[in-house]
Amino acid sequence: MTKKQREEGKFDIYCGLSMLSLMLVGGLLVPLLSKYGANEVTADQMMSPSLEHFFGTDLLGRDVFVRVFSAVFIDLGAAFIGVLIPLSVGTVIGTLLGISKNRRIKGVVGSLIDGINAFPFLIFVIALVAFLGAGLGSIIVALSLVNWARYARIARTRAVVINQQGYVEAARTLGYRPTRILFRHIIPNVSSETRAYALSDFIIVIIAVAALSFLGLGVNPPQAEWGGMIKDASNIITLAWWASVFPGLALSWAGISVALISEGLNRRNREGSQR
Amino acid sequence: MISRNLSDESLGEEISSEQQAPNKNRGELRRTFQGRILRSCIVSFWVMFIAFSLLRISPGDPIRLALGTDATEEAVKVLREKFGLDKPFLVQFYDYFTGALSGNIGVSFFSQRQVNEVISTHLPVTAMIIILSMGAAIFISIPIALSVALSSRSSSKRVFGVSTSISLAIPGFFLALLGLLYFGTVLNWVPAAGYEGEFPKNLKYLWLPALVNCFSLVPILTRVLHSSLMDTLDEEFVETGVIRGVSKIKFYWSYLLRPSLAPTVVLMSYMVGVMIGGTVVMETIFSLPGIGRELIQAVSTRDYAVVQGIILVFGLIVVFVSFVGDLLGYLLDRRVTLS
Repeated sequence: MTKKQREEGKFDIYCGLSMLSLMLVGGLLVPLLSKYGANEVTADQMMSPSLEHFFGTDLLGRDVFVRVFSAVFIDLGAAFIGVLIPLSVGTVIGTLLGISKNRRIKGVVGSLIDGINAFPFLIFVIALVAFLGAGLGSIIVALSLVNWARYARIARTRAVVINQQGYVEAARTLGYRPTRILFRHIIPNVSSETRAYALSDFIIVIIAVAALSFLGLGVNPPQAEWGGMIKDASNIITLAWWASVFPGLALSWAGISVALISEGLNRRNREGSQR
Repeated sequence: MISRNLSDESLGEEISSEQQAPNKNRGELRRTFQGRILRSCIVSFWVMFIAFSLLRISPGDPIRLALGTDATEEAVKVLREKFGLDKPFLVQFYDYFTGALSGNIGVSFFSQRQVNEVISTHLPVTAMIIILSMGAAIFISIPIALSVALSSRSSSKRVFGVSTSISLAIPGFFLALLGLLYFGTVLNWVPAAGYEGEFPKNLKYLWLPALVNCFSLVPILTRVLHSSLMDTLDEEFVETGVIRGVSKIKFYWSYLLRPSLAPTVVLMSYMVGVMIGGTVVMETIFSLPGIGRELIQAVSTRDYAVVQGIILVFGLIVVFVSFVGDLLGYLLDRRVTLS
């Protein structure tokens, strides 16, 4: 039974990984090999899917298939950076907060973290992007400013526990420098928890990046981006469903592949902790 | 796991720590209550401070951005004085803070509308969507969680796990568009535009946005409900219920659901923030006159005073609702441990 369950977890992970790599390979190869450019007007407007244009063409006559795949690295890249920065910043700040002995700093920064977390995630990001100006760069900055607090809160709770573990005490008794203890002994153990959260956060951030573009706060046209493509085609959805449905499917595909990886890893971890 | 991570990290700890305290006497209850109030006040203070700082620390000059490049120096100066932006930072914060306490959270840059007036006219629609979607989510989640928890087949748990995580990965605005395409254009069940404010009539406009919005809540809700039902099923009083042969409805409600509700209630209060975010998108797609659409409009016209006011109010609402949710969870849980 245990072996079977572990294999099921493996199945999820492999499924997700192959879905994700299929998409990444497509994102790499399709714009290179296709005879159309992503922003090139190639045919009549709103042509339905055919062998010539697999996903049809959009309102301006651009090939949707090429546009969907040339957006892969924009969307996933922005989401990846938007998770990586808050993950590292939040883990370090949260860990420092968890092992700090200064009660005043702990109280002030702790309540600041609660304050940031109090804002509804999407609303806060929208407001920040409004003040920073629309664009991919400001989306990443806004995501980092908002999300580090969530990671910091997880890291703080975890660091308090890790800090009392025997091996940390042992490292202290051996007289290692505090920075070495922090980076070699405490942070690796704290980050196992924040990294697990980062994976499910990645799904939310992928959707958030696209949602911001959908609301008109994302990348500048004519750059292909899923949320923006859905927005541009949403007015003509009754005439040309393909121009918004295929980018939406690509977005869901990316989210589902990460969700499967995350689900599989969780199953495996649960299995590991039970034994 | 996703459920816990998604909503709030502290959720898990708080639920478990509250469940582990069996004998709570009155004094302890009061102390917890006071502690929670104090914490909410401090967090509210930060919420105000963050909302306030947004306008002051933004890299460009918000007034200049709002007025456009061809604004005269004179106009910029007038507006700057009107909003007190020429005073020192702390003085501005003091003015803002005292103003907010007396219910004045600013005036729109362009029209002469008070921001709190904008919010009070548009809040009912947003609140209605959130309440409807939460109601729908509860209605959908309870049977799913119950049937999965009571099912003896391991495959049902597997399907449940995968389908909840997959449905979380599908973006709401995409679902909304598909829904609008199918129900609006094909079936003609949803009015294409317009809105009527009165209660029974507005359901015609709100049912689809609420339904789509609840899809982001259902997977999380079913997961938490399912896991707390599994905990409840391990309790001995469930066996007692079976042995005593109580009626089915009574068994499901008093022996299974009610003892499992506390974590769900706390979760719901934390999910209000996520729901608000989803509602903004829904209001934009279905062109409903809620705060979310007002926010997006204010963002695109660069009416920063309105943006600031709206996120302040949403932040405070979330702080308040999670305070109430914590308390409710605490009280519900207390009843469970007493019975």
